[in-house]
Amino acid sequence: MRLPLLVSAVLVATPLAADPIRFTDHEGREVTLPAPAQRIASIPIPMASTLIAIDGATDRLVGMNPTAKSAIVEGILGRIFPEARDIPSDITAPNFIPNVEELARVNPDLVIQWAGRGPDYIDPITNAGLNLMTIMYGTEDRTREYMTMAATAMGRPERIEALIDWRAEVQTDMEARTADLADEDRPSVLYLLRAMDNLRASGTENNYNAWYHILAGGRNAAEDMVGGWADINVEQIATWNPDVIFLNSFEADLTLDRIMDDPILSLTSAAQSGRVYKMPLGGYRWDPPNQESPLTWMWTANLLHPDLFDYDLRAEMRSAYQVLYNYDLTDADIDEILWMGMQGGQANYAQFAAP
Amino acid sequence: MSMALNQTSRRAQLSLRLGVFPAMAAGLALAMLYAISAGRFDVPWIRVVEILWTRAWDLSGSPETMDERIVELVRLPRVLLAAVSGAALAVGGAALQGVFRNPLVSPQILGISQGGAFGGALAILLGYHGVVLLGMSFVFGMFALVLVGFLSRINGRTEMLTVILAGMIVGAFFAALVSVLQFIADPNTSLPAIVYWLMGSFSTATWARLGLAVPGMAFGLAIVWLLRYRLNLLALDEAEARSLGVNPDRERWFIFVAATLMTGTSVAVAGVIGWIGLVVPHAARLIVGEDHRRLIPASALLGATYLVLIDTFARNLTAAEIPLGVLTALIGAPVFAVLLRQHFKRTGAA
Amino acid sequence: MIGITDASLSFGTLQMFAGLSVDVPQGRTTAILGPNGRGKTTLLRSILGFQSLDRGRRHTPHIVGYVPQHSASQAKLAGLEVVTMGRAARLGLFGQPGPDDTEAARAALVQVGACHLADLRYDRMSGGQRQMILIARALATGSDALVLDEPTSALDLGNQARTLSLIAGLGRARERAILFTTHDPNHALAVADDVVLMMPGGAVVHGPVAQMVTPDLMAELYGVPMRWVRPDGPNGRIAMLPEFTGKDALCA
Repeated sequence: MRLPLLVSAVLVATPLAADPIRFTDHEGREVTLPAPAQRIASIPIPMASTLIAIDGATDRLVGMNPTAKSAIVEGILGRIFPEARDIPSDITAPNFIPNVEELARVNPDLVIQWAGRGPDYIDPITNAGLNLMTIMYGTEDRTREYMTMAATAMGRPERIEALIDWRAEVQTDMEARTADLADEDRPSVLYLLRAMDNLRASGTENNYNAWYHILAGGRNAAEDMVGGWADINVEQIATWNPDVIFLNSFEADLTLDRIMDDPILSLTSAAQSGRVYKMPLGGYRWDPPNQESPLTWMWTANLLHPDLFDYDLRAEMRSAYQVLYNYDLTDADIDEILWMGMQGGQANYAQFAAP
Repeated sequence: MSMALNQTSRRAQLSLRLGVFPAMAAGLALAMLYAISAGRFDVPWIRVVEILWTRAWDLSGSPETMDERIVELVRLPRVLLAAVSGAALAVGGAALQGVFRNPLVSPQILGISQGGAFGGALAILLGYHGVVLLGMSFVFGMFALVLVGFLSRINGRTEMLTVILAGMIVGAFFAALVSVLQFIADPNTSLPAIVYWLMGSFSTATWARLGLAVPGMAFGLAIVWLLRYRLNLLALDEAEARSLGVNPDRERWFIFVAATLMTGTSVAVAGVIGWIGLVVPHAARLIVGEDHRRLIPASALLGATYLVLIDTFARNLTAAEIPLGVLTALIGAPVFAVLLRQHFKRTGAA
Repeated sequence: MIGITDASLSFGTLQMFAGLSVDVPQGRTTAILGPNGRGKTTLLRSILGFQSLDRGRRHTPHIVGYVPQHSASQAKLAGLEVVTMGRAARLGLFGQPGPDDTEAARAALVQVGACHLADLRYDRMSGGQRQMILIARALATGSDALVLDEPTSALDLGNQARTLSLIAGLGRARERAILFTTHDPNHALAVADDVVLMMPGGAVVHGPVAQMVTPDLMAELYGVPMRWVRPDGPNGRIAMLPEFTGKDALCA
């Protein structure tokens, strides 16, 4: 399941100058580039770190969302790529409305933007005569599509192939092992996208978190909820009584205490059996789809079904980071990403401890 | 004949009015009992009564089982917070309408809500919750009010019109500041929190939060209650009120401060819940008339009942919480439109 | 006693009065006469303290029974409730009117002969009925000063007569200092002991009604010739009428 080293691919970094690059983006737009993009500005947040992963370097990222930048600078990517600190982040407001003047100033040959948000997000870029590629978020299929689009635009098809193959392989392996799982053997899983003040849970429809919880042999505790996301109250969680609770990695101050100190949530089956975990924060947050997603799935699967899955997560992480970022993870790095200090004592979590 | 008719109808009116307050109080009690029994987690109502009864005789113990905790730690503080907030918002609206002699006035008109919203949003952006959020929301609501007072005081006198204009200016300014905060907020973390909080909810109600909210609201309610007869006099014009020994300039500010206390506190604990202060006093006026000695307690009882019921719907209709501000506006706006048309038809003014 | 001493007030270059002293002693009735726009109401408000003076002193008690020209109150309150408001100054900030206050309000209604208005809603009353209620409210204050702003100007002839009779009756009791504004010299003749004339051009003169309300001064005050009308027979009252010359209406 390990992401194989792409030594040859990394060496063959310079593509052959040949035909123009052509592909269709998520709004059906025909994107044409005379040559592989060398200067890319990324407005969506998770895309910046994905671009770094596809290229194994930060050179071609010339602009990104301020929120993406703070995530990179504060996380492990900031240590791996200290130069990311100097990449401009004023090409867009955090709300994804592009700042055309700043965009024009960094002079990108490709701008990446969210699809399906309407002309206010798109027109300023095209009107400025910049090349635009739009991406749609949410499902695994779309993730693979936009990663492939980005790799195509960068002229790195050989690298993306390995990354996609890795995703497909892990997915197939997990599907095979959970195929015959009866409904009653699937633990109910609650993912909380927000937990500090209000509680926001994931529905099942087009929800990536619910998708990989099912993939890893769980079922969504909130499956009867309409829509992708919704704010709920503690009483609703008490009614669902989930077997496992995953806390998001977006809220920096969020710890397991939020659940364990709450008079209601601490009585849930998840809290009583020590199966409350905070999502790891690696090269990107592990909750939403990104280049490290297979690691998320394996981490989830090992926790939901220690009987069915026994991925060597630490080894998987080492090889993935080697390929994605050309970086050797230390034991301390891994402990930090997995929050070993905070949740090393939770149920089934000892399997992730350093040997 | 006509005299007899007159007397009987007056007697009927009298009995109706004598019975109206006990009826409202009973309505509130029923609404609260219903709200405590209803929830996504199934607790039979007889068990709810048992839990409350047991606790009433033994205040020292602590709830152990899930249903005890749901009833005592989740629903009870939430219902009480909704009730006291509803009373405070309705009474705040009624008092301001009395002072401004205008039934269309609400705490928004003085910029209080917007100031409070800015304070709370700023607290969320800075990563604060709980007490700090409450404090900042109140402080900025108060700050907005002080700004209005400062701006509207010209040559040592405060005219009504300048108060309304200053309130609009200050309100617009703080609304813009809230937009600025939303603009710079992190879309992953603080922005959704701010948006959610601004839409209003009691889902985070706890006994601690109730304890934070009650002093401000109770103090505000007490001030307005004590000034209930004064409000009848403040509805007169300036010279008339002064000749009756009222100091309108000064006494108006008592009402403003009380309204700020109540609005700022409710914004802090539950976000911006609109329309209560507009719709409820109107309904109360239809039932008990315009004398503030009756209007104020009637607004308090009706406001509490209304918000308790709205909040019960908000948390029970679907698995997801429906934002309170959305519900109060969906119900309040059409009701208010009807009331407004009737009002103008009756008075013939536009 | 109510009044002002050595008082001056101007609005920009427009002088309302200068160095004016007006006293309305206990037991006497004073009328302020003057043409429209000359500032009768402003003088009244100055004496009451609603209008600050440029110079001068005011000697007006804290509580005055005041009858505004129009009440802003559109309140859907019973007549008795409106009259009870007259007790407000005695109640304090947080006070509520009690049985004593209701009793005083009822007494005031009796005094103006308007008991039948006690339960009628104020916003449904006629102009004349409202005037009675407002005068009763002023009496309910218990103040020995009564100030009325144009008490007759918005009323029909019958209600004018009723209101003037009421003021005259209160004046005859010699218990109060009464001050009112009017634009009709006949109203001053009917009920006032003294008058204050606000002359065009800024002068203000005052004195007993018999000396001041003369055809000459009235002609000066209103800018038209005036003459006495002396009806025949007993109980006939002296009245004053302007000469209808029609000349003023012609363009030169």
